[in-house]
Amino acid sequence: MMERVKTFFAAMVAALGLIFAAVGAASAAPLRIEITEGVIEPVPFAVPGFVAESTGAEEWGARLAQVVADDLTGTGLFRQIPASAFISRPTSFAAPVQYADWKAINAQALIMGAVAVADNGRLTVKFRIYDVFSGQELGKGLQFQGTTDGWRRMAHKVADAVYSRITGETGYFDSRVVFVSETGPKDDRKKRLAIMDYDGANVQYLTDSQSIVLAPRFSPTGDRVLYTSYATGFPRIHVLDVGSAQSRILESQSGTMSFAPRFAPDGRTVVFSLTQGSNTDIYSMDIGSGGAQRLTNTPGIETAPSYSPDGSRVVFESDRSGSQQLYVMPAGGGEATRISFGQGRYATPVWSPRGDLIAFTKQTKGRFHIGVMRTDGSEERLLTASFLDEGPTWAPNGRVIMFTRETQGASGQASLYSVDVSGRNLKRVRTPGGASDPSWGPLQ
Amino acid sequence: MKLTTKAVLLVGALALAACTNAGRFDNADSVNLNDQPGSGAGGAPGFDDPSSPAYFQQAIGDRVLFAVDQHTLSAEARATLDAQANWLAQNPDYSAVIEGHADEQGTREYNLALGGRRANAVYEYLISKGVSASRLKFVTYGKERPIEICSEEACYAKNRRAVTVIAGSVTS
Amino acid sequence: MHIGHYISGAGHVGLIGWLLLGPLFNSEPLPFEVTNVSMVTEEEYAALVAAEQSPNATDTAAQPPAPDVTEEAPPPAPREETPPPETAQPAETVPAPAPEDAPEPAEDAPPVVAQPEDTPPPAPAPPGQEDVAVILPETSARPQPRPAPRVAPEPVAPSEPDVQVDEQVQPEITPDESATEETPQDPQEATAPEEAATEIVTEAEEPSGAPERSMRPRVRPRAPAPPLATETAETPEPSEDTNPTASAVEDALAEALGGGTEPSAAPSGPPLSAGEKDALRVAVQGCWVVDVGSPSASVTVVVAMQMEQSGKVTPGSLRMVSSEGGDATAARVAFEAARRAILRCQKDGYNLPIDKYDQWQEIEMTFNPERMRIR
Repeated sequence: MMERVKTFFAAMVAALGLIFAAVGAASAAPLRIEITEGVIEPVPFAVPGFVAESTGAEEWGARLAQVVADDLTGTGLFRQIPASAFISRPTSFAAPVQYADWKAINAQALIMGAVAVADNGRLTVKFRIYDVFSGQELGKGLQFQGTTDGWRRMAHKVADAVYSRITGETGYFDSRVVFVSETGPKDDRKKRLAIMDYDGANVQYLTDSQSIVLAPRFSPTGDRVLYTSYATGFPRIHVLDVGSAQSRILESQSGTMSFAPRFAPDGRTVVFSLTQGSNTDIYSMDIGSGGAQRLTNTPGIETAPSYSPDGSRVVFESDRSGSQQLYVMPAGGGEATRISFGQGRYATPVWSPRGDLIAFTKQTKGRFHIGVMRTDGSEERLLTASFLDEGPTWAPNGRVIMFTRETQGASGQASLYSVDVSGRNLKRVRTPGGASDPSWGPLQ
Repeated sequence: MKLTTKAVLLVGALALAACTNAGRFDNADSVNLNDQPGSGAGGAPGFDDPSSPAYFQQAIGDRVLFAVDQHTLSAEARATLDAQANWLAQNPDYSAVIEGHADEQGTREYNLALGGRRANAVYEYLISKGVSASRLKFVTYGKERPIEICSEEACYAKNRRAVTVIAGSVTS
Repeated sequence: MHIGHYISGAGHVGLIGWLLLGPLFNSEPLPFEVTNVSMVTEEEYAALVAAEQSPNATDTAAQPPAPDVTEEAPPPAPREETPPPETAQPAETVPAPAPEDAPEPAEDAPPVVAQPEDTPPPAPAPPGQEDVAVILPETSARPQPRPAPRVAPEPVAPSEPDVQVDEQVQPEITPDESATEETPQDPQEATAPEEAATEIVTEAEEPSGAPERSMRPRVRPRAPAPPLATETAETPEPSEDTNPTASAVEDALAEALGGGTEPSAAPSGPPLSAGEKDALRVAVQGCWVVDVGSPSASVTVVVAMQMEQSGKVTPGSLRMVSSEGGDATAARVAFEAARRAILRCQKDGYNLPIDKYDQWQEIEMTFNPERMRIR
C-alpha cells in the first residue's frame, strides 16, 4: 500500500516536473516583496497656468491656477512644483500631454486647465488631471461655468476635484467658515460675526459690534447660523439667516441664560446649554415650534453639546465627576457614558463628520491642546499645544480641524489655526484681524 | 437666626432710610456700567454721598473674588456682601445686576457656566440677607470681560469675580 | 513587453489614421461634464463627485484622449439641472495635434534630466535598519525627531540651503567630467535627500526619544526549506539566504516526497538573496508616499507586475491583485499610491541580478501601511 502511494507521488512529481520544464521559467512563482515602510511627504504636482481660450482670459488663467495650487499646497499633502522648473508649457488644452517632460521634474500629478470668458462676463473653466508616472488621466475632464465674481469658487471646485481624485476623499476647499472677528484690546474687545471662504478670502460681516457675540455654528446646509448674543443684556441664542443677515432670538425664557447651541444633522433641532440658578444643563429644542426638552439633569455644569452625524447621540462636557470630562448620551437624553479618562480637563467635544472621531479641547499642566479620540474614548491623540487653544471645528470631510489660538499676555490676540487630523500641517488661517470661534460650513 | 438677622437688617435699613437725602435721584438715574474702580473716582458725582452708586462701588465694594474654578464665597466675600445687602436695604429704590466672570484659563462655554455659578452665589447670598429677588438679576460674562489683562495669577485673581452693578432705580 | 508594443502600435496606427481621416468627421465635444457653478446644489455636486469616482474612469485614457473622441458621445449633462443655454455649449473641439506631437509610449520616454550613469543603487539596508523601532532605542538619550515636512524610514538632516531636493544623493557633475559622454549632460547641482524625521512629530508632543512600543519581530525572509536533518535546526540561521546546494528540481522532489506544502516553484535560477530582495524593497519604499490621515492608510494592497530584463516594469502590466481593509475608493487610492511608488522609483530600472531574471520577471508586492498608520 505504502509503496503504491509512493510510486503514485513519484509519478505525479515527475509529471509536474515535465510540465514545469515545458512551460519553462514563465511559470515560476512571482517574487514576493512586502513593503511596510513608506514616506510621509507632500506629493509634487504641477499646475501650469490655465490656457486662455478667449481674448482677455489670460489673467483668469493665472489666477485660477494660483488658487488651485494654494488649495492643494495648503493641505500639506501636496507640493507645488514652481513654473520655473517646467520643461514645456502647454499652449493648448487639447494637445497630448508630454508625460516625459513632467516626469523629468518629478511631477506626480499634472493639472491642465483652460478658461474662456464670454461676452456676457461668464467664465468657463475646464480641466483634466493626469497621473504622470502611469501616464493616465485620472477621471474625466470637468467643466464649470459661473460669473467672474465667483472665480475663486470655481478654482476651489477644481481643487476639490483634484483632491478627491488623488486622495479618494471629498474635498473641502469650496466651503465657508463663520467666526467671531475681534478688534481692540483685551479689556475692551469688540466682537462681530463674520463669514469667509475657508482660506480667509471674501470676509463679510454679519453683525455689528454693539453687543458681545460668541460661538457661531453653521447649520448643516450652511444657510443659517446659531450664535450667542448679549443684545438683550443676557446671553441668548440667536439664529441668523446667512442670505439676508437677519437674526432673531431663538430661545427666551426669562431668568435664564442660554448658550453653546448646535444644530442637529436634520437642521431643525437645536441642542444647547441653559443656565438656571447655579445649574447649567443641556436641552434640545425644535427650532420651529420652540418646544424644549431637557436632556441632562445633574447639579453640575453640562455644556458644549454636539450631535453625532447620524443624529442618534450627543457628546458633551460635564463636571459631574468633579472635573470637566466628556460624555456621550442618546440624543433624546438618558444615561450618559463617560468617554474621557486621561489626566486633565476635557472640553468642547465635536463629533467628526466621518463619525469616527471626536475632537476636543484638553487642558492639562497649564497648557491647552486640541486633540482627537475615537468615539468610545480610545486612541486619544493630542494634535496641538499652546498657551490657549480651544474650540475645534471639523472640515466638512473630517480631515482638518480649525480652532482658536490665543496668545499670552496683555497684548494677547486670538487667531484661527488649522491642523491636519494626523497632527501635521499646523498653520494659521488668514483673517483681517483677530478671530475666534470658527465653525466650518459644508461643502457648497 | 436667619429671622433675627433679617429683623436687625430691616430695622437698620429703616433707621438709615429715615435720614437719607431725598435729592439723591438727581443724577443717579443712569450709571455707567463700564465704570471701573478708581477710574475717575474723584470726579464721580456723589462719591461722598453714602446713598450714591459711586459710594456703593467704591466705599462698600462692588465685587467679590473667587478661587480658581470655585464659586464658594470666602469669609471676606461674605463680609462685603453683607455690606452690599445693607446698602441695598437702605436704598430700596435701586436694583442691581450681578455679573459673574472667569479668568481666561478655561474654555469659553465652561467659563460662561462658571461665571453664572459665581453670579448666582452672590445673588442667592444677597437674597438670603433680605434683598428682594425682584430687585436682582444676574448674568455671566465668562471670560469675555476681563478687567486685568496680564496672563498671570495676579491678574487672574482679579478677574475671577462677581460684580454687583447698581442699575438705576427700580421706580424710575 | 509584446503587449506593450501592440498597444503602442495600435495607438500609433489609430492616431495616424485619425490624423488622416479626422478632418472628414464632424468634430464632437470632448467628454465633459458641464456644470453651472452658480446653480449647482450640494447634492448635485456630491452626486457629481461620486459619479466621477467610478472605478473604471481611470483606465479609459492611457493615451491622450484625442483619437477616440469622435466615437464618444458627450455624457449627459448633470441631472435635474435646468439647462441654461450656457451649459449646452459644446466644449472645446479637438484640433488635430501636429504629427511630431504623437505621443511616445510614456514608459520609454527618456527623462530629460539625465541621471548620472553611476548612481549607486540604494544600498541594501542591513537587516532591521529600515525599521523605525530599531532606530529609536539608540536615541534613548538625545537625538529626538524634530518636526519635518517629510517622514521617512530614515532621518535626514536638513540639507545645505542651496542643494536641491532629490531622491538620491548625487555628486555634483562638472561639465568637463561629462565631456566625453556622448549625450551631453546638463551640469547637475549637488542634490541631497529631503530633510526628514522618522516619525510624525506634532506640536503637542515632546518626543522622549524612548521607544513607546517595542519593535514587532521582523518576519524573516522565508528560508529555503530546511533539510530534514534535525541537528541543524538549532544552529542560528544565517542572515542571508544561502544558495541551495541541490538543484531546484531535487528540492521540489524532496519537498513533495517529504510532504512539503510548496510544490509550486521550479525556477531555473537560484532565488534572490535576502540582500537583493532588501535592495528592491528599500528602493520602492523610498517612493511610497503614505497619507496617514486617510482611509487608504488602512488598506493593504497586493500589486503584481511583469518585469523587463532591464529591471523596468513592463508598461501596462501593473495591476492590483487584492486589497484588504477599506472600501473600493480607499483601495483605489492605495493602489494608485503603490503604482506611483513603483513607477517613480524604477528610474532606469531596478537593480536586480540579471542572472536570476527568471526569479523576478514576475513580482508581487504587498504594500502594508499598518506600521505607518497614526495610532
